[in-house]
Amino acid sequence: MNTLQTLEDGPARLWRLAQRRALGWARIVYLGAVVLVLLLSPSTYRGAARTRLAHHMVRATLPVLPGFTALAALVSLSITRIVVVTAQSYGLSRYALEMVVRVLVLELIPLTAALFVALRCSIPQGLELARLRAAGHLDRLRRQGADPVRMELLPRVLAGAYAGITLAALSCVVALAMAYLGVYGSSLAGLPGYTRMFGQVFTPAFTLVFVLKTLFSSLAVALIPTASALHPGPGMTELGGLARMFALLLLIELVSLMGNYYG
Amino acid sequence: MTDPSTDGLEGIQRPVAHLRAKAAALLLFTLALIAGSALYLLHARGVFEPTQQLVLVADDSEGVAVGMDMTFSGFPIGRVRHIGLAPDGNVHITVDVAQRDAHWLRTSSVFTLVRGLVGGTAIKAYSGILDDPLLPDGAMRPVLRGDATAEIPQIMATARELLGNLRALTAQDSALAATAANAQALTERLQGPGGALGLLMGNERDARKVLATLERTNALLARLDGMAAKADTQVFGAQGLLPEAQAAVAQLGGLLQDTRASLRKADAVLAEAQAVGANVRAASTDLGALRAEVEANLRKIDALLNQVNRTWPFARDPKDLELTLP
Repeated sequence: MNTLQTLEDGPARLWRLAQRRALGWARIVYLGAVVLVLLLSPSTYRGAARTRLAHHMVRATLPVLPGFTALAALVSLSITRIVVVTAQSYGLSRYALEMVVRVLVLELIPLTAALFVALRCSIPQGLELARLRAAGHLDRLRRQGADPVRMELLPRVLAGAYAGITLAALSCVVALAMAYLGVYGSSLAGLPGYTRMFGQVFTPAFTLVFVLKTLFSSLAVALIPTASALHPGPGMTELGGLARMFALLLLIELVSLMGNYYG
Repeated sequence: MTDPSTDGLEGIQRPVAHLRAKAAALLLFTLALIAGSALYLLHARGVFEPTQQLVLVADDSEGVAVGMDMTFSGFPIGRVRHIGLAPDGNVHITVDVAQRDAHWLRTSSVFTLVRGLVGGTAIKAYSGILDDPLLPDGAMRPVLRGDATAEIPQIMATARELLGNLRALTAQDSALAATAANAQALTERLQGPGGALGLLMGNERDARKVLATLERTNALLARLDGMAAKADTQVFGAQGLLPEAQAAVAQLGGLLQDTRASLRKADAVLAEAQAVGANVRAASTDLGALRAEVEANLRKIDALLNQVNRTWPFARDPKDLELTLP
């Protein structure tokens, strides 16, 4: 009897699940659009809003910068060493550096930066937002005539995106430097050849895909955990938000890979 | 006891010391990172480097990509900026040569497009005579193509065929192996008892037979020799067959002459016999006339008797009446 009921309820449950998922994505897209509009609005950067934005930016980026730099340097150096030694054993050392740059700078390190920002900034910020909401802070803001999205969400999302972009840029520079050090050591003799190879890897198309990937990854990482915290409900749990964020990152990575290598 | 939500709020709203300075420094840092990366990228792509153009004319642009290097003695001195198809069907590869490296290129320089086995295609420049005039900006030069991979399929096919043949030749059950084994067996038998003869005859017994036959033939030949000597004596010797035959022939000549004389006599006898025959023929003719006369006489007697009988009155018995001739 119970099984029969479950079977009968199956389509209805699926429909409810799809509805919840669609609602969750729609809220994220809506909040993303609102954030982008507010990002272009001058009022975001005026007066108290600017201070709030600066506060969140500094809080999101500055504490993670040294740790992430050290981590990126370590990972880059290790991977460079592994790739160079393996390539040498196959007699393909002249292609090793290009491979390192492609794998590290273009693909691996920006993704690591986005994940790092998600773990160290966006998810804690989402928790903060959830705590504020639970404490009635957002309702209080509404009662005072202020917009919680503008007041609390926007600075956090912008701070997260900014942290993502900064860490991606920093990680790329660190990875480039470590790849050079890993191959040539402290000698500057290889710099012209290295620069030339870097120019050959970063064609305009690759650069565009890289920039777009970094921007969208940062935005996704900053937006989804905070948006999930702002609108709690059956379709917007914290775990669901994390799953959405990882799915979107994966999608962005896939699209960028396809753009780079199948285009 | 503190309320966790309040505690959280306090943490969130905790002010940051020197916020403006820190934020400005952070922004500057990020901007510097991005701008520095962009400038480095532009520098790496040769945007700030004064260049001169060189157009290479090739018949095939396979493997050539925009951005790839043109090397001189292994050093990159230029990069491909554009690849286009000319109206005459040739490929025009526009290469930006850095002006500081342009002095390596001379009017007599040769350009090659080499496609290696591993890795990409490479455009190389060779300048044999460095005293020649410099290559002018926008010069158009043909590029020689060398494709190491073009011949690979053909070489592979030939090599595969060759290996197949070799494998067939060297296989365990191949004709060559069988021939070698046979040759070895042959050599062993040549070295063994009987030697080549045994090899030819197939087995030792037959080879011995051949040897025995040869010995017997030799003995036979010796006997034939003796027989020939004896025959010579018997035929051509003083008492031989030939002188006796000559005497016999001479006797035969005499005999023939005698025979001829006898025959002549026989001819004369025959002539006489012919004459006798002619006489007999004439006598036979006379006998005919005589017989006719006899017959006429008989008929006359018959007629006479018939007349007597008719005139004979006394006879009653017909038997008695008949006069029977004897």
